[in-house]
Amino acid sequence: MAIGTLGKFADSRPLTLGIELELQLVNLHSYDLVGAAPDLIRDVERRKLEMDIKPEMTLSMIEMATGICGDYNDALRQLTDIRDALLTSADRLNIGICGGGTHGFQLWGDRKISDSPRFNYLSDLYGYLAKQFTIFGQHVHIGCPGPDVGLYVMHGLSRYIPHFIALSASSPFVQENDTGFQSARLNSVFAFPLSGRSPFVETWADFNVFFEKMTATGVVKSMKDFYWDIRPKPEYGTVEVRVMDTPLTVLRAAQIAAYIQSLARYLIVERPFRPVEDDYLVYTFNRFQACRFGYSGTYVDPRTHEQKTIAEDILQTFARVEQHAIELGADEALRALQTDVAAGRNDTAILRADFLATESLPEVVHRQCERWRT
Amino acid sequence: MDNMFPQIWPLHPDQTMHVAVALVLAGMAGEGLARFARLPRVTGYSLTGLLLGPSMFGWFGAHDVAAFRIVIELALALLLFELGIRVDLRWLRANPWIVAASLAEASLTFIATFTVLRLMDATTGFSLVVAAIAIGTSPAVVMRVAAELRAEGQVTQRLFVFTALNVLYSVVLSKMLVGGMHGSFRNDWIAAIVHPAYLLLGSLLMGLAIAMAFRLLRRGFDLSDEHGVVVLFGLLLLALSLLHAFALPTMLAPLLAGVLVKSLDRRPHLWPRHFGTAGGVLVIFLFVLTGVTLTAGDIVAGGVAALVLIAVRLASKGAGVAMFGPIGGLSRRQTLALAVALQPMSGVAFLLTEDIRSFYPEFAAQVGAVVFCMVAVLELAGPLGVQWALRFSNESTGRGR
Repeated sequence: MAIGTLGKFADSRPLTLGIELELQLVNLHSYDLVGAAPDLIRDVERRKLEMDIKPEMTLSMIEMATGICGDYNDALRQLTDIRDALLTSADRLNIGICGGGTHGFQLWGDRKISDSPRFNYLSDLYGYLAKQFTIFGQHVHIGCPGPDVGLYVMHGLSRYIPHFIALSASSPFVQENDTGFQSARLNSVFAFPLSGRSPFVETWADFNVFFEKMTATGVVKSMKDFYWDIRPKPEYGTVEVRVMDTPLTVLRAAQIAAYIQSLARYLIVERPFRPVEDDYLVYTFNRFQACRFGYSGTYVDPRTHEQKTIAEDILQTFARVEQHAIELGADEALRALQTDVAAGRNDTAILRADFLATESLPEVVHRQCERWRT
Repeated sequence: MDNMFPQIWPLHPDQTMHVAVALVLAGMAGEGLARFARLPRVTGYSLTGLLLGPSMFGWFGAHDVAAFRIVIELALALLLFELGIRVDLRWLRANPWIVAASLAEASLTFIATFTVLRLMDATTGFSLVVAAIAIGTSPAVVMRVAAELRAEGQVTQRLFVFTALNVLYSVVLSKMLVGGMHGSFRNDWIAAIVHPAYLLLGSLLMGLAIAMAFRLLRRGFDLSDEHGVVVLFGLLLLALSLLHAFALPTMLAPLLAGVLVKSLDRRPHLWPRHFGTAGGVLVIFLFVLTGVTLTAGDIVAGGVAALVLIAVRLASKGAGVAMFGPIGGLSRRQTLALAVALQPMSGVAFLLTEDIRSFYPEFAAQVGAVVFCMVAVLELAGPLGVQWALRFSNESTGRGR
C-alpha cells in the first residue's frame, strides 16, 4: 500500500467483535508503574503462546488484543484466556497488571519511551505529550459489511459516545490527585492535534478524498495518525470505538463491547436516523459532561435538544436495542450493565471508594491489581 | 576559678568531635562524588572511612568500632527489614528459577573461594569461614545505590532478593562453622549442634514477633510519613536489644521479619526510605565505620589473597547467575547487569568477622585481614558496579539518570 492511499476496506463478517485493552504494569512494592513491557513480552514469547501482545508508547504499558470474536461469550472467553496467560508471565516476573484509565500517582516525567522507530518518532514530534500519553484505553472493533455502512455506523455511534465514557470511566486520579473527573484520561487525548471527532463524510469515496488531501498536507501518513474517538480501520474492515477507559475487569470490558455491538446491529438493521453534520453540534458538550460527571452528566439530544441525564439516555437506549442484544447473545451483558447504571455504579466509583477506605493511592493500585485477577 | 575553667588549651577533642568531623567529611565526599562525577554517594562515605581509619590517617581504630557497634547493627537492622519487605515468597514459588539461580551463584562462590584458598595453602577452617563470608552481597550498598537511582525493574528486584538470600546463606553458614569450631577447638560437640540451632530458631521466632508487632502497628499508624516512622524505628531498636539479651545474631531476625510481612500481606508497605533522616545518617555512619577497620597490617597479610578472591567471586557469581538467568526470565543484558550488581561487600561481612572475634580473636584477625581488604575494595568499586548495572539495564529513573 503506497503512502497516502487508504486501500480497500477489507471484508469482515458483520458485527463480529475485536477488543484491545491497554494495561498498566506496576511493581508490587510501591505499586508505581514500572517499565516492564519488554520483560513481559519476552516471557510470553518464550512460552510460545499465540497471543497478540504489543508494546505501547511508554515502557509501563502493554496492549492485549483478542482475535475476531463471534459474540459476547466468545469475547469474554478470549479476554479471560489472554488475561490469565499474561498473569502467569507477570507472576513469574513479579509484575502487577491492572486495568484503569490512568495510574493514580505515577509522575509522567518518570516514564520512558518504548524503543521503536515509531515511538521514537512520536516522542520527538510530540515532546512531553508522548510521556503524558501513559493512559490506558479500551478499543472495540465492530465488523461492518462494507465501508459506507462502516461510515454510517461511525457517525451513528457518535451520539452514544457519552454512554461508553460513563460506563467505562475508571480514571479519576491523575498525578497523585483526584481530578473530580470520572474519566480524566480523555483530557490527555485531547491535547493531540488530530484527536476528537472525524470529519462528516458519508461515503468511502469522499473519505478517500479527505484522506488524500490530509496526506498531501504532509500532516498524516496513515490512519494511525488520527486519534479520533471513532475511526474506520480499513485493514480489518471494522469501525473502532476508542473513547473507553480500560475497565478494572475483563468482564466489564466484554460487557461494554457487547453493548457497542448491539448498538451497531440496531443502527445497521433499523437505520433509525440519517446522520447529519449538525448532530456534532452537541458532541463535545456531551462528551465533556460524560467525562466530568459520568452517569449524572447532562445529555443533550442532538435532534430534539431535550436535556436529560446520561443515565436516563443509557437506560432508554438499552430498552431500544434489547431485541438486537438478544439476537446477538449479548442480553446478559446488557442486563448487568443496566443494573449498574440504575445503581450509579462504575469503576470510578469503585476506585474512589477504595481511596476513601485506604487513604492511599498505592493501596488503590494494589486493589486494582487484585480486581484484575477476578 | 580553677574548677570552673579547667585547662582548655590545648584542646582535648572527645569522641563526639571525631564522629562529627567524620560525618561532615563523609557527607561532603558523597555530595562531591555525586555532583561532579555522578558517582554513588556511598563510595564517598566509604572512602572517608578508609582515609580516617588506621591504614591512613589513623583517626579511628578498632576500639571505636566496638564502641559504635550498636550503630552499625541498628543501621543494618533498618536496611535488612526494608530489604526483607522486597522479598515476596509467593514470587519465589511462582518462579523457582530465581531460587535456583541464587543457590547456584552462592554455592559456586562458596566452593570456588574455598578451593582457591586451599590451593593457596590456607587451613580448611579458615578457607571455609572466608568462603561463607564471601557469599554475602552488601545490602547497604545495594539499597543505597538503588534508592539513589530510584531504580525499579527485573534486575533491581532480583538484586534485592539475591542480596537478601545471600545474607541468609552467609550468616547461617558462618554460624554453623563457628559451631563446628566449638566442636573441634573445644571438643564440645553438643554446643556445635545446639548453638547454631538455637541461633537460627531464635532468629526465626524473633522475626515472627517483629512481623506481628509491625502488623499491629500498621493498623494504628500511618507509617508513610516522618512522624509515624519513629514508631517503627523504635520497634526495631527494641528488637535489637532483645536479640542482644537472648544472645541472638542481629542480622537474621529483621530480615526474616521483612520477608514475613510482605509474604503475609501484599499491600504496599511504604515509609520514607531508610527510615527518614535519622536512618539516613545511621546508614552513612555504617559506611564510614566499616571503612575504618582496615589496617596496614591487614593489607600486607591479606591484600593479595583478597584480590584473587575478588576475581574468583566475580567469576563464580557471574556463572551462577548466567546458568539460570535466561530461563528465569532475564535477557542476556539483564543477566550481565545482575552479576555485576551482586559484587559489593560491606557491613554484613564486617559484622560476621567481628562476631567470630568474640569467640576466637586470633582466628578472627586472620580472617579479618582478607575480608577487610575485600570489603575495602568492594565497598569502593561495588557501588560503581551497581550504578552501572542499574543504568545499563535501563532501570534508573528521573534525574538520577
